[in-house]
Formats: sequence, structure tokens, C-alpha cells
Amino acid sequence: MSDAYSAAGRARWWGILAAACVIAVLPLVFRDSYWRTNLIVCALNVMLAIGLDFVVGYAGQLNLGQSAFYGIGAYVSTLLIMRLGLPFWPAFVCGVVASALSGMVLSLFAVRLRGHYLAIASLGFAVITYQVLLNWISLTQGPLGIYGIAPPPPVGLPGWQIDFTDLANLFYLVAGFALLSYVLLDQLVRSPIGETLTAIREDEVSAASLGINARLWKVFAFAVGTAVAGGAGCFYAGFVGTLVPDAFFITESFNILAMVIVGGMGTLSGPVFGAILLTVLPEFLRGIGDLRLIVYGLALTLVVLFMPGGIAQALRLARDRLMRASSRQTAGAKP
Amino acid sequence: MRILPVARLFFVSVLLAAAGSSTALAADMIKIGALFPMSGPGSYFGVQDKQGVELALEALNKSGTKFEIQYEDSACSPLPATQAAKRLIDQYKPDVVIGEECSDATLAVMPVLAQAKVPLLNAGSSSIKITEPGNPWTFRIMPNEVMQGMDIATNAYKRLNAKSAVLLYENTNAGIGNAKVFGDTFTKLGGTILADIGFGRDVNDFTSIATRVTGAGKIDVIPTYTLEGQGLKITQALAQAGVTKGGGGGAIQLGTIWLPFGFEQKAGKAAVGYIRIVQFDPTDQRDQVKNFIQAFKTKYSQDPTHLNAHAYDQIMLIADVVKRGAKDAQSIRDGLAATKDFSGVTGSVAFDEHNQNIKMDTIHYMETLPDLSWKALGWN
Repeated sequence: MSDAYSAAGRARWWGILAAACVIAVLPLVFRDSYWRTNLIVCALNVMLAIGLDFVVGYAGQLNLGQSAFYGIGAYVSTLLIMRLGLPFWPAFVCGVVASALSGMVLSLFAVRLRGHYLAIASLGFAVITYQVLLNWISLTQGPLGIYGIAPPPPVGLPGWQIDFTDLANLFYLVAGFALLSYVLLDQLVRSPIGETLTAIREDEVSAASLGINARLWKVFAFAVGTAVAGGAGCFYAGFVGTLVPDAFFITESFNILAMVIVGGMGTLSGPVFGAILLTVLPEFLRGIGDLRLIVYGLALTLVVLFMPGGIAQALRLARDRLMRASSRQTAGAKP
Repeated sequence: MRILPVARLFFVSVLLAAAGSSTALAADMIKIGALFPMSGPGSYFGVQDKQGVELALEALNKSGTKFEIQYEDSACSPLPATQAAKRLIDQYKPDVVIGEECSDATLAVMPVLAQAKVPLLNAGSSSIKITEPGNPWTFRIMPNEVMQGMDIATNAYKRLNAKSAVLLYENTNAGIGNAKVFGDTFTKLGGTILADIGFGRDVNDFTSIATRVTGAGKIDVIPTYTLEGQGLKITQALAQAGVTKGGGGGAIQLGTIWLPFGFEQKAGKAAVGYIRIVQFDPTDQRDQVKNFIQAFKTKYSQDPTHLNAHAYDQIMLIADVVKRGAKDAQSIRDGLAATKDFSGVTGSVAFDEHNQNIKMDTIHYMETLPDLSWKALGWN
């Protein structure tokens, strides 16, 4: 048993190493600014999707307010930089902390709710946040927008300066954070904390009978998942250079949830695939013009219909079939 | 290997001719990128823009320089617009780009196109920030929000003898900006703003706002800055409350170019007396306008709108610059900057040092008559 566990652990680390290699190679393969832009959007969406999956897929808390935490991270960091002159990285930390604190505040109120009720409460939070961003014009500029937001400042290394106005470098930065977030969440879900969250998701009453403080752990899950979304928001502002409240409208929450569902809820790798697919597919389909969104919608419907467990489940099934076929072949080859 | 002098001369001549002809070929094809919202709530912009562009290209490509276009869905939003602009630049490599319609999206793509040194010709975004400070690569043929707001306020005060106003506007970049300019200009002229009412795009019922307007006192004009959906509800609510001329009241509602053609027919009697600016005057008696309307009707079996017209003018202005010798992004930019007397179907174009069209004849004042037809007021 422990051998199987350590083999699975090794495979996971090999997978993470492979992902790091893919991240390193991607900007070298995609050299134009359009595809490098799409790569950065993919990395941002991966952060948003895995953050949401931690709350929805592992802790079982249906959060429809991820767009709000994304927006809070973006606005807090940008306002600190542009109004108070704070450097990017302290502002980044503040953006992440502000999102996490907002997530904790929401979860403190929503901790008594479950299922649909929690979904509506979190949706309400997203609506309130959007309205605040839109109407508190003296602070956020509201619909007038904030323009000319600079990307993260260059990082100086001995004899080398990494400039984030270069899209390849910016991709390495955002994707690096996405990978770091993935590793941290992966460690969490495979630790006793992950088992605790799964226990709460499966049966809160039984979990409580084992001495698990469900409220505390739900607050924790919200804080972690929304902190990751806040980080994505901080990068978004510097990447797009423009901040308007419409970028964090509630429909964005549904897009992020779709990434989690299409990828496979409750598996960290699934939302990564979901985020990449749902970011890249509409871009690939640009060539077919007006039919683009019809084909996109159809593709999503087919995925949900024929792969109810998402891409992760489909990949797992395909792998199992391959392994069964190969073991049958090996057995048949024996004398 | 030795080549005889005559043969060498012939060989070099052939090479030079080939090089010359390839240059000529390149100059004969102008690639236009179009950033239009073709999905989402602003998709009606994109559909109508495309009709105007296709009509212009059909006419132009019958002879002389060929124009080619690639459309990208920029979705009226900063991130999708940025992605679409980068796709155009990297894969299509346009000589000039037209669009977007929404100010937020236009402001987001401006630095992308400036960095790529490709001129952007905009017709539909009104935010002042697009040309103040703007950048050397962005041009706008429509008057900006300040020019529009000042013009409407001045005409309201001087021609309609309005002394009091209530401002109604959606809480968007353009809504707030336009209302503020009207308010500042009107107050400076001696008028009074009785109420300043902003609302979100999610408001559906305007009864309470109409009631509030009713209680504001004697109102002469109500400048209203909304898109069509909310605009219809506001116009009907104000008429129902007996505030505006359409409902038997005395106030004149003033509207912007945001409202599409056909608004009055949808609003019905509530729109009677409504005065608004449009970017295209279908009653204009100039030959080029008559020809445009005829060609549009022949191709699409419908009357053109201001969106059709300003998209048509964007292409025609590019064609005019090409006719003056432009053949690539840099020369098109320079040609646009030098434009002083272009005459289009929406009006005329002359760019100032910020690349803003300074001609006010691109906006036309229309009053809605009791049979819901328009009367051109001829104020510009």
C-alpha cells in the first residue's frame, strides 16, 4: 500500500516537473504576441479555476462569487499602486490578502448555508461587489475605468533583468504562480486537511461527529480558494492595463465554474485542462467567424453530456482502458 | 561563369522589373482589420458596421486599388478586444484597423495598435480619453463626448430657450462623461440643473425615476444618455408621468447618437417632440448621401442606419487616403493626419493635432413629429 502511495506521489511530482517543462517551452513555440497573450489568459484562468475547485470540488461549497474575489484582488492592488504609490509586490500581497479576507467574511455569513442557498448568497456577494466597483466612483473610477496600469516592474538579477513588458516573461511569471498555487493546493488536498474537507463535503454531520469543526474548515477553504483568485486579479490588471468593473461581472463566475465542471470537479488537474480548453477553444474557432460561439456552446454541451465527470474523468477512463488492454495483451502473450 | 554584358543588362532589368511589379502588387492591396463587437450585448453594432463596410468595399473593389478586410469579434470589452487586436496584428498584418464601438474596448486596444504602428480609425466611441491625450496612431471621425455635450447644451439654451434641465444617464464611462459636460456647459450659460440622476444598466423599471423627475419643478429639457433598451422605458415612463411633450407635458427630451434608428417607432407617441442628435441624416439632399441610401436599399432591402453610415465612411476615408498616395500603415497614418476636407455620408472630416475630427456637421439634430417621422432641424 505504501509502495503504491509513494509511486503515486512520485508520478505526481513527475507530472508537475513535466508541467514546468511545458511552461518553459510554450513561449518558445508560440512566438507571436497574440498566442502569448492567450497563454497568459490561460494561466490566469487556471489560477481562477483551481482556486474555485478547492472550494467547490473539495470542500463542497458552491461558490458563485469567484468573479468578485478576482475583482477585489485586481482593484485593491491597482489602487494601492496608483493612488498610494505602493510598489507592485507589496500591493500584490495586499490584493491577495484582501481577497482572502473577503472570502472569509463571506464564508462566516454563509457557513450556515448549503447547496443552492450558499450559491445564491455567494452570487449576491458577487452582485454587491460589482455594484461597489461600479458605483463607488471616487475610489474605483467606476465605469470611467482605470487606464495605463503598468505590468509588474522588472526584476533585476546579476547581469540580467527580467522585463515583464515582454509577454513571454509575463507568461513565465503568471504561469509560475499558477503552478505554485497548484502545488500548494495539491499538497493541501493530499494532507489530512484535504481529507477533512472531503469529509465535510461528503457528510457534514458525520464529520462533526468525528470532532471536525466544519465552520472553521469551510472558512479556511474559502480563504485559500479566494486568495488564489485575488492573485489572478493582481496579475490581470497589469497584464490588460485597463480595469473596468464589467470585467468582473457575475457572468465571469459562471465561466470559471464552467472551467471547473468541464475539467472535472474535485480533481485539481481537471480544472487546469478545463481552463485551458475554455480559453483556447474560442480563439481556435475565430477562423469560422459568426459560427464561433455556436460551435463553442455545442462543444461544451457535448462535453457535459458525454463526459459528466469532465475531462479528468475521461482521461482516467481512457488510461484505465489502455492499461486493461495492455495487461490482457501481456496475459495472452504468456505461454 | 561569365555573362555577356548585354545578357547581364537583360538579367538585371528582368530582376528590377520583377521587384518593381511585386512592389506595385503589394501597394495595390490594402489590408483592413475590423474590430467589431459581434457577440454579447453590443453585437448589434457589429452587424450594422459590417453591412456598411461590405457596401463600401463592393463599390471600391470594382476598380483600382483592392481592399481586403478581416473581421474580429472584439466583444465591446477590454480583454477580448486586446486578444482580437493582437490576432489581427500577428496573423493578418493589416495596414489599418477600424473599430471598436465601445470606449472601454477602444482605450484597451489603442496602445496595442500604437506599439505595432498600425493606425486605428474609430467612429463610434465617444470617450474624451481616446483623443485627449490619445496617441499618434488613433483617429476618431465622430465628435467626442465633450464636443457633443457642449453642442447639445448650447443649442438647448440658445435655440430652445431652455433654462432648467434634469440629467438622466446610465452609470457608464460615456453616460457619466456626456452628462457632466452637458451639466457644466448648461450651468455656465446660465441654466439650472434641477436633478442629476444616474442609474445602473440593470435598472428595468423607471417609474420611480419618472416620479422623482415630476417633483423636480418646471423642467425645460431632459438630456438622456442611455442605450436603446433603457431609453425606451425612460421615454415611456416620462410620457406616462406627463413630464415630456409626448405625454402632454412641457419638457423636451434630448437624446444622443447612441439610440439606433427606429427608436421613435418603438417608443410610439411617447417620443413625440423628442430632439436628438444622429450621426447620419437620411434627409440630407447631397448626391453622395442619396446614392448611399439607394445602394444600401438595393443591397440589403432596408434603410441605412447611422452605424451603417459611419462604417461606410470609415472605409471611404481610408480609400481617400490611399487615393492620395498612401500604401502602408505609416503612410495611411500620415494621410489620415493630413485629412482636412474629406466629405462622407455622415458629414465632413478634418483632424486636429490630437487626431480628433473637428467638424460638427457629422452630428445632425432631429425632432420627432406626431407621425413619428423626423424633422431635420439643421442646427449644424
